[in-house]
Amino acid sequence: MYHLNGLRWTLGIFTALFLVFLYGPFVVMTILSFQQGPEGGPQFPIIEWSTFWYQHVLSIAEPSRVAPLPIGEALIRSLTLAFATMVVSTLLGTLSAQAFRQNFKGSGVVFYLIVLGMMVPGVLLGLGMALVADQFDIARTWWGTAFVLHVVYTFPFSFLVMLAIFNRFDKSLEEASWMLGVDPVKTFRKITFPMIFPGVLSSMLFAFTLSYDEFPRTLFTGGSEATMPIAIYGTFAVEIHPNLFAFGVLTTLASFALLTIYGVLMALSVRRAKIQSSGLQEEIA
Amino acid sequence: MTDINVSNPTEIKSGTQGSSLKAKIDKGRYFLLAPGVLWMVLFLIIPLAMMVYVSFWTQTTFAVNSTLTTKSWVTFFSSETYMNALFRTGRLWLTVLALTFIIGYPVALYVGQLIRSETLRTILLVTCVIPFWTSFLIRVLAWRPMLGKEGAVNIVLQKLGIINTPIEVLLFTEVSVVIGLVQIYVVFMVGPIAFMLGRIDHNLIEAARDLGASTWTIFRKIIFPLSLPGVAVGAIFVSVMVLGEFATPAALSGRKVNLLGNIIVTQVGSLKWAFAAVVGVVLTVVMALVITALLRVVNLRKEL
Repeated sequence: MYHLNGLRWTLGIFTALFLVFLYGPFVVMTILSFQQGPEGGPQFPIIEWSTFWYQHVLSIAEPSRVAPLPIGEALIRSLTLAFATMVVSTLLGTLSAQAFRQNFKGSGVVFYLIVLGMMVPGVLLGLGMALVADQFDIARTWWGTAFVLHVVYTFPFSFLVMLAIFNRFDKSLEEASWMLGVDPVKTFRKITFPMIFPGVLSSMLFAFTLSYDEFPRTLFTGGSEATMPIAIYGTFAVEIHPNLFAFGVLTTLASFALLTIYGVLMALSVRRAKIQSSGLQEEIA
Repeated sequence: MTDINVSNPTEIKSGTQGSSLKAKIDKGRYFLLAPGVLWMVLFLIIPLAMMVYVSFWTQTTFAVNSTLTTKSWVTFFSSETYMNALFRTGRLWLTVLALTFIIGYPVALYVGQLIRSETLRTILLVTCVIPFWTSFLIRVLAWRPMLGKEGAVNIVLQKLGIINTPIEVLLFTEVSVVIGLVQIYVVFMVGPIAFMLGRIDHNLIEAARDLGASTWTIFRKIIFPLSLPGVAVGAIFVSVMVLGEFATPAALSGRKVNLLGNIIVTQVGSLKWAFAAVVGVVLTVVMALVITALLRVVNLRKEL
């Protein structure tokens, strides 16, 4: 069939090297997070293996000259912000995508207006918003000026995901439900929502991740109360310590947990959809 | 008689119902779109418009006032520092774009075309995405112990006997900025291309092969043209992110390599709003040109 074994091997090795390149810094970061503390710096060689920096992150290490990361408050702010962004962005995305199910006049303009939100570099949007806030005496806060920009950034992602879902969506099912006299609210709950649920989940995942790690937009608009990325950026100017790396490893593990939940929910929803559709077929038969 | 009497009203009724249904749908659409459109106008269009407006304001030492002037613009275009930053941004952007394409395309080709197993393909794609679960800024900082004089790269190369003395240009130079940017953004190139390649109908390739086309011809005439929309989408992602960068250059060049983004941050820091706005508008124009050019290759709405 295919006589591509040579090519396949070459590209396979290339891909393996690519993964090494992608993961190299992460591996190094993990190794260095076990550096001895508090004297050991974020570089080789490892003086002695220890979990000092993990204790440091969790504020259970003995006090030292290295200031602890402002994890408690900054992390809670970031999580709250990401959660709010996730909800609003998915809501806006679903509503807008629903409107796009039939072509309408001016749809091109609205489409690109929404997509523009993910195409404008964050630093520009942050600057623009800071100018507006400065001129109209609006206080710059993470839950106000920064939050609206986060949604501007994530809403297009939610919109595109939902649009892709609606494009593959069999309209006749909804129509059948309407024809049988089921009211629109119930139709949405029983027919539409279960079908678009994978999209809603993906949109939420996108929005949460993007907002949680959002940095350039927040820098100018977040005000004095720092979110997590801003707190990390604050350490750029001064010396960096392995506690940042320990924190990176910990957050990655936490994200894995989140991804697993997403995977499980997704699998469940797919299975339920399959069972439901086969059940429907049996009823019809 | 009765038949007509009965059927006529229903016909008329259903007719009006149809048109009122259409009106209802139009009205419904208006309500569905209003929140999103309003949000984007208020928090996207107005800030950008404000930036253009402020770029023509008068800059005094610590404040701006709304007397219109082109002074900040003249300052920008007559300053060597700013013009250098503009060219450096362009140069770095093109370098990173080329490298993400050269490195990303073969990977996408492998994932999208040469892997038959759906599971393996998903695993590989997920593997590419996992690094994104670490904070962007921490990932940038992780390059420091990689590239330093006593960094991991030098240690490994010396152990392997490839080099004798450590390479010093790796950290705090333009090279380190390029390496960092490529590693962080290359996945945005791989994803869309792999997606487009995965959608290619295998029958097309089989047919070409049956007709005697060589692998190279198949790639050149079928696979590559069909993957172009993916390349364009990837290029849009990479361009948007690299052109607006300032954190990676700041962290990996020891603040020696300044892009337009770095200048904006510095100017805002010293309350030079009008200058910052000028740099912002310049960046927006560059951005708009790049995206418009790329959107000629791909119709985003059709590719979904």
